[in-house]
Amino acid sequence: MIPGSILFSIGISVGFLLITGLILALLLILAEKKILNYGTCCIDVNEGEKKLQVPGGGSLLSSLAENEIFIPSACGGRGTCAYCKVQVTEGGSMISPVEEPYLGPEERKNQVRLSCQVKVRKDIKIRVPKELLSVRKYKGKLLHKRPLTYDIVELRIELLEPKTIDFVAGHYVQLESEEYDGNDRVMRAYSMSSPPSDKNHIELMIRKVPNGICTTWVFEHLKEGQEVTFSGPHGKFHLSNTDAEIIFIAGGSGMAPIWGILRDIKEKGNTRKATYFFGALTQKDLFFVDELTKLQQEVPWFKFIPALSNEPANSDWKGERGLITDVVARHMPDCSKNEGYLCGSPGMIDACIKVLTKAGMTEDRIFYDKFA
Amino acid sequence: MKLSPEDQRLIHNLKPSKFSKEGFLGTDNRSFEEITTEDLRTLEKTGVPKKLLVQALRDAYQKARNTFGAEVEIKKNVKAVFHESMGRIPSPFCKDGLFEKGEVVVIDSANNLSLVITSLGINLIEKHDFFQGKGCRFRIDPLVAIKIFRLLPET
Repeated sequence: MIPGSILFSIGISVGFLLITGLILALLLILAEKKILNYGTCCIDVNEGEKKLQVPGGGSLLSSLAENEIFIPSACGGRGTCAYCKVQVTEGGSMISPVEEPYLGPEERKNQVRLSCQVKVRKDIKIRVPKELLSVRKYKGKLLHKRPLTYDIVELRIELLEPKTIDFVAGHYVQLESEEYDGNDRVMRAYSMSSPPSDKNHIELMIRKVPNGICTTWVFEHLKEGQEVTFSGPHGKFHLSNTDAEIIFIAGGSGMAPIWGILRDIKEKGNTRKATYFFGALTQKDLFFVDELTKLQQEVPWFKFIPALSNEPANSDWKGERGLITDVVARHMPDCSKNEGYLCGSPGMIDACIKVLTKAGMTEDRIFYDKFA
Repeated sequence: MKLSPEDQRLIHNLKPSKFSKEGFLGTDNRSFEEITTEDLRTLEKTGVPKKLLVQALRDAYQKARNTFGAEVEIKKNVKAVFHESMGRIPSPFCKDGLFEKGEVVVIDSANNLSLVITSLGINLIEKHDFFQGKGCRFRIDPLVAIKIFRLLPET
């Protein structure tokens, strides 16, 4: 048995340690508030286009978000996604070890930084693409979640606050998942498939990724009628302002921006010829075939060519067979006067670029939205 | 033993985190050093150079990636399928950069074996001798990989 005097000594020691720890913690909090007080700092955006007065000490990413400038970020500011790059021309401290792997030599030369890792401790000057200044955070309500295939769903979201969105067909939003089963909130990019004329709604096509944090939330937790949060519009993928004949190539949920562009140009009375190659494995991976076939019948400028690469030879499929790259090569031997718009997996995009350039299309006429 | 900030960061990154929902250690209770040492020893005993194993993984990954999700034959009775996934994943060893998230599932029907290959997984073996922990979906067990890719002459 332990004598009472020893127990008393242990109690005193533990109590002393606890009180010392508490005092030290309090001192640290006070020091952070009083000694590390950076006061108000100015963030100058695009050489005076906006000047923001923010409390010093926060990250550049969060300081901008508090002032409604939403830089794309998928990891919530932990320095792991590297989407939140901005140019910091003055007032950025040294590049942190977290940033190092994500910044190439050219980016370092151009003073590019991860905004989540830059602390605003003094006045700072940044440059961001102009279109980012029109990005907003939206609250919406999920009107429907419709299965398009066994692993792709379409979401239709009604905008609640703000009630309208202006975007260019082909652009994307960043959908924010909610916490579930111990998973933090994350943001993931999804192209809008709705036409820009429908300003009160957006539509997205989301493919289930096994063990994906955001897509598991969409497929298993998100219910119709539920409130959702997203930011946007983002992106550079959109139709150019030329009259070159168009070749669209997509696979899987890569359908989304192409479907949005097609609906948009139809509404605007397009006359540019367009051929759409859509690659899938089997018939069960195809969707929107009726809608696209109908569009082909309605307008003279559009041709739709779905192709299956893994369809059983003895099935009733009458359409094209083979890898989408081979089908494109067969139909388009000379692409020197066309423009290419591609959306899909990195492997598909890389292979399509090779096929199109081999057929005479220059790389500056190839536009793509890579799932990367 | 006091760990360096770099080691502490690595231990954190290898567990389930923002880097990977499942983490890189699976249900393995061994340390990172123990896992790499044991796997390298196993590989050494077979006489198969690590370079050859890495090349076999890379070839299978690329061959499957080039068919956009269609099944492809790697060897007799060995098939692989690429599953696309949006986005990129950073290496837990921060300085290695970002890797595409797609994965290749390889199935050896003759030996009833399977593997999941990712571009990050290949990098972890090539640069850090890390085959990932037991119970991790992305572990490339050296003996399993050697058998699947027929890297040893049939006995």
